[in-house]
Amino acid sequence: MMDPSRTPLGQMLLDEITPILMLLSTPTVEDSCLKNGLTFLQMLSPFSSFNNIDVPVRTASDQPYRIHKFKLRLFYASDVRSPDLKGAKEHLKHVITEAGEKVFSELTSDEEEIDQHQQLASSEYRNTPSWFQLLNKELVRVVSFSDHEAFDHPVACLLAVSSKDEQPINRFVDLFNTNKLPSLLNDGAMDPKISKHYLLVHDNQDGHADRASKILTEMRSTFGTSNCLFLCINSTPDAPIKHEENPWAAFVSDASPSKDLGCFLNIDDISEIKDLMQDLSSKHIIPNMEQNIRVLNQQVSASRKGFRNQIKNLWWRKGKEDGADSLNGPMYNYNSIESQIRVLGDYAFMLWDYELALSNYRLISTDYKIDKAWKRYAGVQEMMGLTYFMSDQSRKEAEYCMENAFNTYLKLGLPGQQNATRCGLWWVEMLKAWDQYKEAATVYFRICGEDILHSAVMLEQASYCYLLSRPSMLRKYGFHLVLSGEQYKKCDQIKHAIRTYRSALSVFKGTTWSYICDHVHFHIGQWYASLGMYDVAVKHMMEVLACSHQSKSMQELFVGDFLKIVEKTGRTFEVTKLQLPVINVSSLKVIFEDSRTFGSPLAANTRESLWRSLEEEMISSFSAAKTNWLELQSKLVSRKNSQSNVCVAGEAVNVIIEFKNPLQIAIPISGVTLICKHSAITDEVRLDENKSIVEDDNDIDHFKDMSSNNSSILMSEVDFLLGGGETTMVQLSVTPRVEGTLEILGVRWKLSGTIVGFLKFELSLPKNIVKSRRKGKRSPNDKFKFMVIKSIPKLQASINSLPGKVYAGDLWQLVLELKNPSEFPVKNLKMKISHPRFLIIGNQEDIKSEFPACLTKKIDSGQSDAHANHSILSDTVFLFPEGTSVQGKTPFLWPLWFRAAVPGEISLYLSIYYEMEDISSIIKYRTLRLHYNVQVLPSLDVSFQISPSRLRIHEFLVRLDVVNKTSSECFQVYQLSSIGHHWQISLLQPPDTIFPSQSLMAGQAISCFFTLKNSSKLSTSEDNLSTMNVTSDVILVPQSSEDLLYDVNSASLVKFHHYERLQQELSDEGDLNTVDFLLISQTLKSTNNPGFSDPPRVMSHHACHSCIASTGPISWLLDGPQTLHHDFSESFCEIDLKMHLYNSSGATVFVRIDTSDSAGIGGHTNSFNAVQSAIPDNQAGWHYVPPVNELKVTTSNVLETQPGKALPLESASPFVWSGSSSTNLHLEPMSLVEIPLQICVFTPGTYDLSNYALSWKLPSKVRGDSNQTKLRSGKCQGYKHYLTVLQSI
Amino acid sequence: MATTACFIIVSRNDIPIYEAEVGVAAKREDAAQLHQFILHAALDVVQDLAWTTSAMYLKSVDRFNELVVSVYVTAGHILFTIRLALLLSVEVVVANCLPDLAVKINIQIQTLLNPLYLPGSRITSSHFDTKVRALARKYL
Repeated sequence: MMDPSRTPLGQMLLDEITPILMLLSTPTVEDSCLKNGLTFLQMLSPFSSFNNIDVPVRTASDQPYRIHKFKLRLFYASDVRSPDLKGAKEHLKHVITEAGEKVFSELTSDEEEIDQHQQLASSEYRNTPSWFQLLNKELVRVVSFSDHEAFDHPVACLLAVSSKDEQPINRFVDLFNTNKLPSLLNDGAMDPKISKHYLLVHDNQDGHADRASKILTEMRSTFGTSNCLFLCINSTPDAPIKHEENPWAAFVSDASPSKDLGCFLNIDDISEIKDLMQDLSSKHIIPNMEQNIRVLNQQVSASRKGFRNQIKNLWWRKGKEDGADSLNGPMYNYNSIESQIRVLGDYAFMLWDYELALSNYRLISTDYKIDKAWKRYAGVQEMMGLTYFMSDQSRKEAEYCMENAFNTYLKLGLPGQQNATRCGLWWVEMLKAWDQYKEAATVYFRICGEDILHSAVMLEQASYCYLLSRPSMLRKYGFHLVLSGEQYKKCDQIKHAIRTYRSALSVFKGTTWSYICDHVHFHIGQWYASLGMYDVAVKHMMEVLACSHQSKSMQELFVGDFLKIVEKTGRTFEVTKLQLPVINVSSLKVIFEDSRTFGSPLAANTRESLWRSLEEEMISSFSAAKTNWLELQSKLVSRKNSQSNVCVAGEAVNVIIEFKNPLQIAIPISGVTLICKHSAITDEVRLDENKSIVEDDNDIDHFKDMSSNNSSILMSEVDFLLGGGETTMVQLSVTPRVEGTLEILGVRWKLSGTIVGFLKFELSLPKNIVKSRRKGKRSPNDKFKFMVIKSIPKLQASINSLPGKVYAGDLWQLVLELKNPSEFPVKNLKMKISHPRFLIIGNQEDIKSEFPACLTKKIDSGQSDAHANHSILSDTVFLFPEGTSVQGKTPFLWPLWFRAAVPGEISLYLSIYYEMEDISSIIKYRTLRLHYNVQVLPSLDVSFQISPSRLRIHEFLVRLDVVNKTSSECFQVYQLSSIGHHWQISLLQPPDTIFPSQSLMAGQAISCFFTLKNSSKLSTSEDNLSTMNVTSDVILVPQSSEDLLYDVNSASLVKFHHYERLQQELSDEGDLNTVDFLLISQTLKSTNNPGFSDPPRVMSHHACHSCIASTGPISWLLDGPQTLHHDFSESFCEIDLKMHLYNSSGATVFVRIDTSDSAGIGGHTNSFNAVQSAIPDNQAGWHYVPPVNELKVTTSNVLETQPGKALPLESASPFVWSGSSSTNLHLEPMSLVEIPLQICVFTPGTYDLSNYALSWKLPSKVRGDSNQTKLRSGKCQGYKHYLTVLQSI
Repeated sequence: MATTACFIIVSRNDIPIYEAEVGVAAKREDAAQLHQFILHAALDVVQDLAWTTSAMYLKSVDRFNELVVSVYVTAGHILFTIRLALLLSVEVVVANCLPDLAVKINIQIQTLLNPLYLPGSRITSSHFDTKVRALARKYL
């Protein structure tokens, strides 16, 4: 159990609730004392408290006890009154302001305070600001000398008269003049018969003590011996004494330390004063109080104790109930029993007799409650609480009493405010003494009244309570500090506000509660700015800049204030961690050109692996050729340098950085540049050593004065305005001009022209890099390190007039333009293209010819064809002609052909390889990478359908369906060509009928028919592929004079067709029954925009591998007369037919022809072998042939039926196949055979000769069994073939 | 009745992972920061209280003037500290929210947050946001 008297509250109570000694002194006494720089009161003060007095005290009980500590409070009579409220407030404000100044100056003196705060959670951070105690004392003092509390009533009076005074006895009498006495005595709140003590003060400097002793005897006779005292002061002869430990220092608040307090008081004087005070208290005041207690106790017992008295009291009070009911209840005179009980209680409290005090307080509190004297009631409750505390009795009771008192005071409204504050403070102290800090904090919170300043202080104290509670509630601590800071701000205590917020910052530092952080930082910044401390202000304001979560108006406020403050400082700030704009470091990209050069930024952004795979072939040829290349390089380049990147003098190194504006408001950014370090190559080793040292100490300097640095590098500067929420990629470049080493350190930018931000690209120290590099490890910063070598030629290339948007099938002639700005020539140019289907390399002659014209047919078309075939085969790397060397200003041109093969987004990659003439350089070769994106829109949808002709064996009908898929464009379908050397194509109808409008409108679909003829009579066509050029073209527009035929054998078209074929490759490669078509269409010449004449655009659509034979490897045709006259009266008619059978496959086919008679008797589909040719219908010679396996007719070995029998029964006259009923033969590949067939007809009529079947079979081992899709054998039913036989007349 | 409410989900280590002002009252300029302050401070109380009771819904654990803080502590809070992992720890619901709301939202959270969720990172799903707001409108 703790000792209550040792707690802060106990100490406070023992100090504050002690008997008061009222002083009355004459001016002469004061004069004497002032010689020492002290008032009379101050002179006595140090000796009025006794820590080891050890006095026996006997109060109500018979058993005496001893008290060891006693204190007298001394007050001048004029001060014994309720303090002036306004004055007190002013005083408090002054105290607070002063404390603020003091603490603040300490705060700013050491900036590290915040860091120190961080440890507060763990360490014993218990030193709450000391001025709180002072302030609390002042607050308590504000309500002293109230009439309802007796402990502030003086218990005795000390009258002091100097021996110098005239008629001292009269002076004594005059001093205790009722007019001058405090109101407490006069208005009856306390007993005016206060015990008086008479002190004669003698100043030794004024002469001998004779006169004094004379007066003293006189006094003794007048006032009684015991009440008269004598004090001699200023005994020091002349020289002032310096007291080693000045006892007065603590009591004189406004004393400057230089002043010698008590300089005329020697040891004797001091001990005399000490004795005087001790005598006074132990011999007079304490016994006097004891006496009072006993008397009062007797009175109280007589009037109130006992059953009878209680009843009486109750009865009496009930009757009084409807009496005067003012706010404070009835007035109680000093001689009323209530007042006496209260005095008794207070006296007992002051003499440590808590039992007695408590019983009296209890007694009185019910009385006051019944009387509705709330203030007095609250006062008594308060005292009860304290008594409970001091006697260490029930905590619950104590707390209850305090709460009751507090609430009652609050109920009184304004007049009770101060009392409530005091009560609250005591309550808080009580809770603190019990370690109930959390509860204490809530009480502090409740103390906050109307007075903003007070509540600020209370809130701050509350926050400390939270901090001190176990476990410490740091968040609450922070919150209450912020609340308190807010209040401080409201009453202009900026310094306090800053202090509290800064303390709060220690809690909120690093938290992700964004609004909180912003609020705290912003206000600190603002307040510092208002104090003129702009540097610190800026530092805090910087924290709130990236406030993307705030509303737009808040962002404007934050940024606006920040800029204002920065402006006020009048200089540009340079900060390393500027959060505005946000730089996405991961997006950082360094583009430099060593042996790889880029034609456009687009190319640089492409994946390196893609280029690698593209260039593999070209470069490997180089390194293979010179195996010692690596060795050569390692000799030239030191090991250290070989690990860093290489860039060429005069060529820019680009860094792409992403800047992001997190705010909703636009921010201007200017002067974005790279921070680079460049050192010339000359004395590299020495420089390197220097650099590492230099960088260590003034790294920041290096950052700052970069702009003026040196002329050996050239840096780009970018300005831009970043709108709200925008993200911009910024490309910055640095161009070294001299050989040496280049290092990119970071980036700097200016926000709104005033704040300069830096960002280092890597955080690792330069020193470490140097070290690690020596170890041979590659540090991440190597990305930003370059070895600058002397300038070498760099090719520039562009493809002129490559369209960004084309329609599928568009054909363009383009020109590749190569330039070499340097004076050194380059050689050995090679080129590779990623998509040969889209882009092919033309011939040099093409460049001279005009575009669509060069595609048209010329007279000598043969020679270009041969060339085309040649270049198709060696396609992967294009070697520019031997001796091509690009130099100087004249550009080197080379034609390219572009064809948009398929719709979609197409990325074209070109890589051009070249070698230097100059061998001494580290870089032997370079590649130039070009990257283009083309958007291809769908245009015409072309499909072909081919069916074999029934009339001729090598003829087919082709249906062409064209759909215009565009939304607005008109196309003219111009020409259809078949490719494959042995096909001839012709129109069925004149073009006028197909395209009346000559063009295909958007969305229009059209079909037209062609006949296709296989012109190669022989089945082996492989060898004559190049020699026979029986390409056939059909122009689909009405022939006009100048319209020319496009030459499908022109080199470019052939190449494109080759790639198309590769692309559209089917599984049955080498099948000769396929035909390739090439449809050429044009855009109509300037129909939409007449003022803007485009060159005519040519489009080609390739349809490859259109299959002609759908029924199997064989095709056949029955050949014979269609109408025949025969005299049936003579004989039956015998007709010879011929079957042409063609094998279109590449293998020998076994074919069996079965002629069959009709199984049944009826039916006009007779299965006789007829040799009579039927008459075909005019309109259709072709029809669909069902698949073989659907054939249902059973072909059996049918013999000739009896002609007579069948005749009368059938509707159609019967006929019979004569000759062999089944023919078996082997058909050589690509060969045509004629098989003779014969039928006999007995009556005139029309016969359908379709009842025969062809079974074919491929040899199973001709090709591997892998080809499952193809049928190996099949059966075909015969075509309908009508034969009319007429009776000849 | 005009109510003001703020709904915040706090993960372990005091990291707010979701915030929503769901009140129907006219917004005060400093409402957002005030709510954050109150809720942040309330965590102190919650931290103590969560271990003393088995209840998950702690009604009115703290108050500041007329603003009342109610908390729904998920099991994750407990799981976390004994290192069995999982997602959420503490949610703080201000003002007059019913436990229903907290429970419903909690369920949603558990369905919405998948194992790929990184503890401590913000919930940015707009779907979740609209759901919370709709629920809040229903209950407030």
